[in-house]
Amino acid sequence: MSSRTINPPMVKPSRESLLEGEEKARLQRRQRTGRIFQALTLTPVILALVLIATLVVDVYLDTWTWQVTEPNESGQTFVRSSANGWRGVVEQELAARGETAEDVRAFFSDPEEIRKFNARNRVELVYVPRILNDVTDNGTGWRWVVTNNRDDVVENYGLLEGRRTLTDIKANLEDGQLLYLNPWIDFSFFVRNNSGNFWLAGLVTAILGSLWVVFLVVLISVPIGVGAAIYLEEYAPKNWFTGVLEVNLRNLAGVPSIVYGILGLYAFVRIAQLGPTILAAALTLSLLILPVVVIASREAIRAVPDSLRQASYGLGATRWQTVSQIILPNAVSGIVTGVILSVARAIGETAPLLLVGGAGFITTFPNGPLSQYAVMPTQIYSWLGAPAVAFDNAAAAGIMALLMVLSLIYALAFFVRRRFETKW
Amino acid sequence: MLSAKQAAKAAGIEKRASRNVVETAIGTVLLVCASVSVMATIAVIFSLSSETIQFFAQPRVTFREFFTETRWTPLFSGSEQFFGIAPLITGTLLVTIIALIVGVPLGLGAAIYLAEFANDTTRRLVTPVLEILAGIPTVVLGYFAVLFVTPILQRFIPNLDFFNPLSAGLVMGFMILPTVSSISADSMRAVPGKLREAAYGLGATRAEVATKVVFPAALSGIAAAIILAMSRAIGETMIVALAAGQRPTFTFDPRETIATMTSFIVQAATGDQPAGSLASQSLYAVAAVLFLITFVLNIISQQIVRRFAEKYE
Repeated sequence: MSSRTINPPMVKPSRESLLEGEEKARLQRRQRTGRIFQALTLTPVILALVLIATLVVDVYLDTWTWQVTEPNESGQTFVRSSANGWRGVVEQELAARGETAEDVRAFFSDPEEIRKFNARNRVELVYVPRILNDVTDNGTGWRWVVTNNRDDVVENYGLLEGRRTLTDIKANLEDGQLLYLNPWIDFSFFVRNNSGNFWLAGLVTAILGSLWVVFLVVLISVPIGVGAAIYLEEYAPKNWFTGVLEVNLRNLAGVPSIVYGILGLYAFVRIAQLGPTILAAALTLSLLILPVVVIASREAIRAVPDSLRQASYGLGATRWQTVSQIILPNAVSGIVTGVILSVARAIGETAPLLLVGGAGFITTFPNGPLSQYAVMPTQIYSWLGAPAVAFDNAAAAGIMALLMVLSLIYALAFFVRRRFETKW
Repeated sequence: MLSAKQAAKAAGIEKRASRNVVETAIGTVLLVCASVSVMATIAVIFSLSSETIQFFAQPRVTFREFFTETRWTPLFSGSEQFFGIAPLITGTLLVTIIALIVGVPLGLGAAIYLAEFANDTTRRLVTPVLEILAGIPTVVLGYFAVLFVTPILQRFIPNLDFFNPLSAGLVMGFMILPTVSSISADSMRAVPGKLREAAYGLGATRAEVATKVVFPAALSGIAAAIILAMSRAIGETMIVALAAGQRPTFTFDPRETIATMTSFIVQAATGDQPAGSLASQSLYAVAAVLFLITFVLNIISQQIVRRFAEKYE
């Protein structure tokens, strides 16, 4: 690209001195306008950067809220240093709930009891601000608390709003109520199941759903997409059918994603009677990203120089020998990059999956292609649509998780492109 | 008795024959792979049309009502049901126009910067910003529109509904920015260097070359980019479903809650509409209209590119 960039003619002082009065002023005016214009064209980029930064910061801030809860159980918080993790906190909490040491030991040896406990309780590290020193006899700072599904979350203030009105909130605090800064995204968010209680809702079902769907999408769309790309680049004769394939591919890439959802709903969910399952979702998404995979793979194949092909044919290799031993090994980094980027698209895609069953309330782990599912983006959408406003914070936590996953994938694509790219 | 030479020749022929069988088989498999995309298109058209035809076959629905009625309430019951797609069209147009007002100038600005002013270093810094913007899932943009942009807008604009096309359109403008900028920048780079050199030779400044020489010369590619961006805005679902609302209103007031074609599809599909009911069939009819509109826009965009692509060769 750089070779095409043309340096502007330098306006030398000697030339400028030839101009006088009005002409000189006009030239300066034109140059000034030019500089302003040039700076203006950079504004969209800066705006885009500001938008991305604002978005990430806004979502992150939404993953912290000031919660006023009326605890159903012990209502105690434990100083951070009193426990090293889940087990230590639960021990203290059970004791605070009035269970004997024997009961506690029995509890820890029974996995079923532990499972039940975890489904209804969340162990979390919260921040109790210093300002609350006199209303809580538990002390301040980072503290462990065990929230229960029968707790009553009375108030849920945003991070900044709560900080501003903390004294008012404190004044309105009633006896037995707890106030603390609640983290929505912590380790347990990733391993907790979804729940009807917003402060217990976790992402694990959606993460498993996403993994299943992406796994099947790669399995389905990569062989078909790469095969189609090889056909179009290396095999296709110049006839009307190839023309149809080309035009069709370009048009498919422009079809709105929700239309693929309609196709999935009609063809896979209803006609093929797959129902709202992982397989239906994977087939739908495979068709959606197929044009992207094909186009990226074709570009990678096209980038392999013709001299390699001709050398291979000259040695008597057949077409497939040339493709499998010369072209594919040399195009693989481009193909892999294209596949990774289309996987990123499949992970973030929401609309078509809402139509093929992704919007349901799922708390069971997917255990195969025919189980019901939620994926990360549809889980976020469901939380945003949930009646309790505080689910928005769960959605924010889900978005942070989704953005982290996508950043990792883009980093991987970047790495593959950097590391394995062949320069001809 | 065959001589050793003849035997070798026969074996060679046999080997070549089996090689040919393998070659043909692989060629066929690859052809099938390539045909999947055609089957997908056929399946899309078939699924849209079969339910849409059934929708219009219902005595309750007429073409006349579909195109002239200004109420769209298929999810209501009995006599409250009206099937005029106009409110969904105006809703879609409203959001799309706002998105284009935001996205086209920004996208063109970024394209001019990338194609004309950026050097290699700045281009390496700027391109990823636009790629990241293009890679943000739209459900995230929808969240941002409804929970960040709308509350801010409400401070400045009284009577702004919580769900409104304004904030959806603003955010969607940023969504289509990378589409506009990447295609426009490509077509600006394709403008031959001779034109630029001639303009510089006449004493033009860099900005004058960009706006008065390169921009007009790349106009066809820019038009194609804008049409493609428009098609993407019309088909975009999550931003509008989250931020613009799900209440079909026949209005051009960007402060009122509306519904677009896509947000209606989501609303109808995530509710519990029994298959075969009028409400569920109406979803396919709307999707068919959406598909036709975006299809025509994509074709126009491709035609523009193809017709003007080789102008300078």
